[in-house]
Amino acid sequence: MTEKLSVVGKRVPRWRAHDKATGTAKFLADTKLPGMLEGKILFSPHAHAKILKIDTSKAEKLPGVEAVITWEDVPNKLFNPNKLDLILVHPELEFKDTYVLSEKARFVGDRIAAVAAVDAATAQEALELIEVEYEVLPAVFDPMEAMKPGAPKLHDFAENNISVHFDFPVAWGDAEAGFQEADIVVEETFRTAKNHICQFEPCTCMADFGADGRLRIWSPSQHAFLHRRKIAEIFDMPEGMIQWITPHVGGAFGKYGSLSIEPVCVALAKKAGRPIKLELSREEDLFATEPRQRYVSTGKIGLKKDGTITALQEKIIVDGGAYYTHNFSTTAVNMGGFLGLYRCPNVAAEATCVYSNVHPTGGVRGYGNHEGTCMLEQLVDKAADKLGMDPLDLRLKNAKKAGDPSSTGIPMETCSFEEMIKLGAEKIGWKEKRARKKEDGPKRYGIGIGIAMDVSGAQPFNIQHRNAFIKFNEDGSVNLLLNAADLGQNIIGAMAQIAAETLGLNYEDIHVVTGDTDSTLYDIGQHASGGCYQIGNAVINAAEKAKKQLLERAAKKLEAAPEDLEVREGHVYVISDPEKTISVGDVSREAMYNFEGEHLNISGQGSFSPVQNPPPLSAVFTEVEVDIETGEVKVLKILYVADPGRAINPATVEGQLEGAIAQSLGYVLTEEYVSNRETGALESDNLNTYKVPSTLDMPETEVVLYEEPVPSGPFGAKGIAQGAMIAVTPSIANAIYDAVGVFVTDMPATAERILEGLK
Amino acid sequence: MKKEIASFKVNDRAHEVLITPNMTLSELLREHLGLTGTKNACGAGECGSCTVLVDGKPILSCSTLAIAVQDKEILCIEGLSRGPELHSLQEAFIDAGAIQCGFCTPGMIMTAKAMLEGNPNPTRDQVKEGLGGNICRCTGYVKIIDAVMGAADTLSKGGK
Ligand code: FES
Ligand code: FES
Repeated sequence: MTEKLSVVGKRVPRWRAHDKATGTAKFLADTKLPGMLEGKILFSPHAHAKILKIDTSKAEKLPGVEAVITWEDVPNKLFNPNKLDLILVHPELEFKDTYVLSEKARFVGDRIAAVAAVDAATAQEALELIEVEYEVLPAVFDPMEAMKPGAPKLHDFAENNISVHFDFPVAWGDAEAGFQEADIVVEETFRTAKNHICQFEPCTCMADFGADGRLRIWSPSQHAFLHRRKIAEIFDMPEGMIQWITPHVGGAFGKYGSLSIEPVCVALAKKAGRPIKLELSREEDLFATEPRQRYVSTGKIGLKKDGTITALQEKIIVDGGAYYTHNFSTTAVNMGGFLGLYRCPNVAAEATCVYSNVHPTGGVRGYGNHEGTCMLEQLVDKAADKLGMDPLDLRLKNAKKAGDPSSTGIPMETCSFEEMIKLGAEKIGWKEKRARKKEDGPKRYGIGIGIAMDVSGAQPFNIQHRNAFIKFNEDGSVNLLLNAADLGQNIIGAMAQIAAETLGLNYEDIHVVTGDTDSTLYDIGQHASGGCYQIGNAVINAAEKAKKQLLERAAKKLEAAPEDLEVREGHVYVISDPEKTISVGDVSREAMYNFEGEHLNISGQGSFSPVQNPPPLSAVFTEVEVDIETGEVKVLKILYVADPGRAINPATVEGQLEGAIAQSLGYVLTEEYVSNRETGALESDNLNTYKVPSTLDMPETEVVLYEEPVPSGPFGAKGIAQGAMIAVTPSIANAIYDAVGVFVTDMPATAERILEGLK
Repeated sequence: MKKEIASFKVNDRAHEVLITPNMTLSELLREHLGLTGTKNACGAGECGSCTVLVDGKPILSCSTLAIAVQDKEILCIEGLSRGPELHSLQEAFIDAGAIQCGFCTPGMIMTAKAMLEGNPNPTRDQVKEGLGGNICRCTGYVKIIDAVMGAADTLSKGGK
């Protein structure tokens, strides 16, 4: 693409940056409704228990308490908090196993009852007055144990606690034959980290049944329309009777891809007949909302002596926790990442999803691909070691190119892994550093690489419909209506840039309306890094339609043909006679206010359903220093080379990558989600024990945007945010392997585990 | 619990509030004065999101009793800008792309303000050190540090 861009590609301030910098941006915890009550949830103290009796009378009598609910007050209807069953091509692999409140507790933190009171302190006091008689059942905390005959059973339908066993649905070649052909085979079993996203704003929700009978829900959902449909199903309401409002979101990273406390909040609002706010504490957020699945996964790679990969295979036990949620979908994506990153003619994978009495898991940034790719990338380094090859050369040998299928199976329009790897290697000084002496007293130096491809949406596996609407105001500014939650990734700002560029307006001329299912068109929501690519195309479509109306109208005024007109910075010009011009505002205003009977509010509705799924690409280089006496890993530098297609706003794209670097550091080194082995209670339930990286943990970082615009993308853009951790994590693990030869199979790689590995 | 009237000076304005002895400063600001710019990401002194300045010093308002800061000069994010005119730190955070979800931003800016008052020309490492108690889950801190360095520059050249 060679056209000159005036708004796209510029580092303009993100949407609502001013409000966030001045403290005026309202998050849910900052909001109050008239007559609002505050809610609190009673969580199960037992990992596995049946409720024999639950007496709420004392709690109800406490002054200030307006409603108490238990399993008897909520719809007797199972659901899956994961929205994907509504849009998945294979919904039969999704199970409904969750109630709003349950008669049976399956993990420490399961929802037993809830209270609404005049304030949170009263609600809390009331919780302590609820008397529950539990029959404590034997519990099982390990998926291997859970599969054994005679293990405590969590859900009636799941024999041996196995919810589903499935093969990678779109495998190709003959894996067995591929391994026969191989000169070497490397096989390792990994235990990935059950890491919590710990988004900074603790989970909060408000709900209210208005006098008009309509239900209003305020919740930072990533999928307002799909979650609205879920609530409609659970509470047996027509979708149109529910308005879902998405406020500012204090970080999400996949967290709000599941319904979380909304159903409880709605049930409380229904019972109390008053607006309810339900706000989790940090501790509750950590134990009662979904972390990542833990995969116990055996990966196998076969290669020829020259490094050609002949076969890949993965066998996964999914330690998904007490409820099913995203078990199937994250695992299928895990397989896609593991099997689809490199050229390989023969692949196979299978997975067994297992229930146990640990905290249920969900979709977290990277959505399975993070773990699948990380295992593969570590195996590649081990294979390189065995072959005596430079791991960088081994990657170059097998890297995919344009025209090859991506990990979703769709042929890629562009793919410059080779150039990106070479660029990064050059910048970091790979050859010299790899050859460098490792020792410096007890400190050992290492350098590693990881590469990854992610997605720009979930086609062809999910329905992916997007809509946008544009309407002009009298002054020539426009309203852009869409339903996209700004989770921090700046989707709104990027969409405004795309609209401005397409319409020939300034960034400031685009006023976005979002976050309200009543006033925006249907959108499947923010997942799989599909927002920028997919909604961006819908916005262009809407803008082009509106622009056509604008130019037709302007053509009459300027006495020129519409094809001879262009719009720049808010003015329409005649191309063949640039002296002739009219402001967009004048055209728009005249269209609204005229006596010629040709009234028009210039507008356009755009839609998009993708055919392509261009993967954003990453190549990451990490330098570490490992202290062999203490086992401590110090990350020295991370260089991230990313291909986002086109960076609509380079500052916010860089921000996604830099943030992901920090999250990967936490994943690999410090963030350990630990449950007590006896009770199943979460032990890492605050920010002192669940260690999120601070400034002091951050290494030197460098981000390089290798922009290769993709033809099907809006101005060439692909998705970037979800996939940003994927290559970082294995690059750190591989650097540790280079430094001290410890092959990290159990994350996080704490000092103890490194020391253990050094033995 | 016994309630009493206490007087506070917040963002240069005097307030009289009926408080209980166990009320935290964060509660006072958020619930009673409607100053919700100050955030509570942990409520337990572990994250820095609730940082405000008391007599120019950064303190964690979630872990400070309101009663202890009576009649002191309290400054929170809402008091930083003067009408439409933003403080250099706020400008710098916006321009550097240092804000993502924005939940950590008020605490970061207040901590940075106190730091720059003590050390107007910090090195990058000193900024890292100074912000060590403020968690941000989104940004990886790079652009936050850029912003603070940028604001230090503006301020040392006489900016506001
Ligand atoms: S809310 Fe005060 S330190 Fe986290
Ligand atoms: S911007 Fe989200 S926590 Fe810092």
